[in-house]
Amino acid sequence: MNDNMLTMRNLKVVFPSNAGMIRAVEGIDLDIRKGECVAVVGESGCGKSVTSLAVMKLLNSPPALMRVDELRLDDEELKDYSETKMQSIRGQHISIIFQDAMTALNPVMTVGRQVDEMFLRHNDISKKEARKRTLEALELVGVPEAKSRANNFPHQLSGGMRQRVLIAMAFACMPKLIIADEPTTALDVTIQAQVLEVLRGMQQKHDVSLMLITHDLSVVSNVADTVYVMYSGKIVEKASVRDLFKTPHHPYSYGLLASVPKLSDTKHQFVQIPDSVPHPLRKPSGCYFHPRCRYATEQCKKEMPPLERFDNGREVRCYHPLNVTDTELQS
Amino acid sequence: MSETLDKKTIFQRIGKNVLKRLKRIGEFLGKLWKHPKGRIGLIVVTILVILAVFAPWIAPYDPYDVTQRAAKGLPPSWQHPLGTTITTGQDILSMLIYGTRVSLLIGVSTGIILAFLGAIMGIMAGYIGGFVDSAIMRVVDVMLVIPTLPLIIVLTGLFGRNYFVIVFVFVAFGWTGLARVVRSLVLVLKNSNYVKAAELAGASRWHIMMRHILPGTSHLLIMNTALTSAGIMVAEAGLSFLGLGDPTAISWGKMLADAQGGGALLFGAWWWIIAPGLGIFFAVFGFMRIGIVMEEIFNPRMKASSGIYKLFKNLNNQYVEEVFASMDERKLLTGDVKPEPAESG
Amino acid sequence: MSENENRDRPIIDMRNVSVDFPVKGPIPFMPKKKVRAVTDVSLTIDYGETFGIVGESGCGKSTLANAMIGMVKPTAGDVLFKDVDLFKLKRKEFKRIRRDMQMIFQDPYSSLNPRFNVYQLISEPMFIRGGVSDEDMKARVVELLELVGLSDDDLYRHPSDFSGGQRQRIGIARAISLNPDFLVCDEPVSALDVSVHAQILNLLVEIQSKLKLTYVFISHNLAVVKNVCDNMIVMYLGKVMESGSAESIFRNPKHPYTHALLSAVLDVDIENRKERVVLKGDIPSPIDPPKGCRFWKRCPFAMTGCKDKPAELLDIEPNHAVACHLVNDVFTDAEKDAGLNQPIEDHAEGLLGTHGKK
Repeated sequence: MNDNMLTMRNLKVVFPSNAGMIRAVEGIDLDIRKGECVAVVGESGCGKSVTSLAVMKLLNSPPALMRVDELRLDDEELKDYSETKMQSIRGQHISIIFQDAMTALNPVMTVGRQVDEMFLRHNDISKKEARKRTLEALELVGVPEAKSRANNFPHQLSGGMRQRVLIAMAFACMPKLIIADEPTTALDVTIQAQVLEVLRGMQQKHDVSLMLITHDLSVVSNVADTVYVMYSGKIVEKASVRDLFKTPHHPYSYGLLASVPKLSDTKHQFVQIPDSVPHPLRKPSGCYFHPRCRYATEQCKKEMPPLERFDNGREVRCYHPLNVTDTELQS
Repeated sequence: MSETLDKKTIFQRIGKNVLKRLKRIGEFLGKLWKHPKGRIGLIVVTILVILAVFAPWIAPYDPYDVTQRAAKGLPPSWQHPLGTTITTGQDILSMLIYGTRVSLLIGVSTGIILAFLGAIMGIMAGYIGGFVDSAIMRVVDVMLVIPTLPLIIVLTGLFGRNYFVIVFVFVAFGWTGLARVVRSLVLVLKNSNYVKAAELAGASRWHIMMRHILPGTSHLLIMNTALTSAGIMVAEAGLSFLGLGDPTAISWGKMLADAQGGGALLFGAWWWIIAPGLGIFFAVFGFMRIGIVMEEIFNPRMKASSGIYKLFKNLNNQYVEEVFASMDERKLLTGDVKPEPAESG
Repeated sequence: MSENENRDRPIIDMRNVSVDFPVKGPIPFMPKKKVRAVTDVSLTIDYGETFGIVGESGCGKSTLANAMIGMVKPTAGDVLFKDVDLFKLKRKEFKRIRRDMQMIFQDPYSSLNPRFNVYQLISEPMFIRGGVSDEDMKARVVELLELVGLSDDDLYRHPSDFSGGQRQRIGIARAISLNPDFLVCDEPVSALDVSVHAQILNLLVEIQSKLKLTYVFISHNLAVVKNVCDNMIVMYLGKVMESGSAESIFRNPKHPYTHALLSAVLDVDIENRKERVVLKGDIPSPIDPPKGCRFWKRCPFAMTGCKDKPAELLDIEPNHAVACHLVNDVFTDAEKDAGLNQPIEDHAEGLLGTHGKK
């Protein structure tokens, strides 16, 4: 029996362009256990969205070229599946929640009918039965007055409500894995908190695996169990949320954490990571992070550090990890 | 003294601007030339333009000469490469070359006037808004429901059959569609934040129109000119064929009409019909090609997709494998490498 | 900038400003409805301070800022900029004065004309004002680029070559190119990656101290506002809920809505995870705002009296005012006898969701 819902080994994605090969993802491993929420965190341009699309094999070729050694969903190896077979997998076992709910929903169909369709497609039930389940689902994700809201068109709903409808749709077909790509980035902070709460609640209730893609570590802290920090197409750190937030090992994770504006801050100064993500065509030598890292040494400039695994399951790609405790070293 | 200096700098500036514009046009033509489809269009249109401009020198005979009774109805030969007409013995090649003038003149001038009018109306409606907007849009609505062909028949009856009437009608009815498209684009541009930033800096409406709105619509206008020119050429041929064109000029449409009236089909004079047909075909083909390629150049998304397919066809598989292989790293086992002692952090 | 400038007087003085937008109904000639974007807001902003406007989207904070810089004409009330009523000026004068106020936009992708290069973008305001030679303009652009942390290699590149954070830097350079003294930052970081937030915020703070600018800082994230603002207002549905110095509002938040906003800030502090009070539902439509206190429909502490009696902004301590019946205890004894200060039955339930520790 396999404990993993998603097992991905050595995913590589490149985009050929006239100026050269854009190396979007450079060999990453990803494991999502059953009922676990895994967050993939990084700045824009680090390859996190490409990774999420690759999991569903939604990357078009052209423009993308993809290689993967292993891509298993539950016990099914998806690596060599054809597009037709992937379509049925995507409908049944993987669903996705997009950042922009307005474009993800059909503007000329009531939201109720769109959720109905999800139920109808995956169950042999009458339309009436589907509507009943739709209303239940909408209530579950916290849409007030679900009955009348179901007859609304997407543009009549607020951003938060639309995102809830998307969540209801994603859970409607009882998938094994849900991928949420920046589900709250377009929303106000107040609504963000609501939607995250709904997402977390639904995930725990239905015991599905969730892959959360975000650039905002504060979102992660409320929802995720395990966090992968990506930088420039590589995983630089993997840890449980608690470990990562308490003792970030990689200087980049530390920087990401520190740069979140906090209510507890008192100074008129924000901690910042200097510069920005390198252009994918002009990645630096050695560790990709070294030009922005204040701990960088000569070694960092020459060689890419390996992804080291500690006994407690943490993985770090750094020659000079921060906050490493003695117990971790001894193992 | 300072005045003359100022004049000098002003001239310098104007010169610089003109140079810049010329360079832009050169760059643009270069882009067209690089595109295989655009190159064909560019060649065809250039040939047509040369034919039209230098018609009297290129044409071997006088196309208006209807006195060559001896040469009536000759099939293509070395003397008359495209033969002669059955009725009057005019040289068809010469007529074809002269016909280029009418087609190009009508097509391109109408296309350009249309673009100007459409742009002005669309930008006024979109940018000024309010009463101007509703007035222009109501005119557009009215124009859209007036049938063009009966109007041309009525107007030619009133003012005689000349090309001014035809150009006038084409312009009067053609700008409406363009104005609509331009207006909707202007509405988007007008509400963009960069226009707001310019307003904050105290920009006049004129500045915003010339620097932000017009350049934002220029690609649409240039493309539209090329495409409508082609359309107008076909329409002009059709009208001439119906006998609504200028009876004194030689145009491809009129050649077709004469051929039919003169019994070209009856007497098997196929060259009389094929020649103007080919003329129309090449002219439309050339302009359409240029229009389509412009669309690809201006629309980055279209350009990107077509470029990517080409790129993928030429990809070196070995290189791709090398790139993928270069990403592989030594797989590390647990505890394979001990991390260095942490720096105090 | 201007001649007789008195730095002791406020730079912005808004008096009872309201902004309504008419909306066309589905049937012509029906009485037109109004979007009440801003209702009866008064505030003053001093030279050199950073003034925060906080609220959810749709609360009227952007409209209010637009009214300050003369992009939107208020339906009622006066806006004084340096003691001058902007809307009573002649067009030419208006334009001249408004050069002292500039804006930084939320979306760095739509605020830069994609056809322009960096030099054209940043020099545009100077070009519009005129009277600058090409050489001076270029020198100034290079100087500005350096100030915002870009290099002069970028001079002839186009916006599409830059990341979101870099574009925002270009936007900042453009905004300060005319040496304004009043800058509206409309959610300057919320469209950017969190990791870039700090960079841009630090840059703004640095520029402010260098150029002695006055900022209006609009945001929906209180954690951002807290660290940059001196004074602030919290807005809800076009009205001010709480106003005062940032220090006192964060030390002693009074309004239930401020509490909710504070609680909504997602934190990375995993050790001391607080009980989270999450407001249910969305901000209602500003077309028909509630008659009494604008917030009562979402307020967990709403009382019967809140439905009809508008809440007024009253001082609770120096430089800290709240518009809440509960806090200000405004009901007279007679009203209390009528039960106006009793919680509304079956109201609080379902309004709050708590988000506990994991």
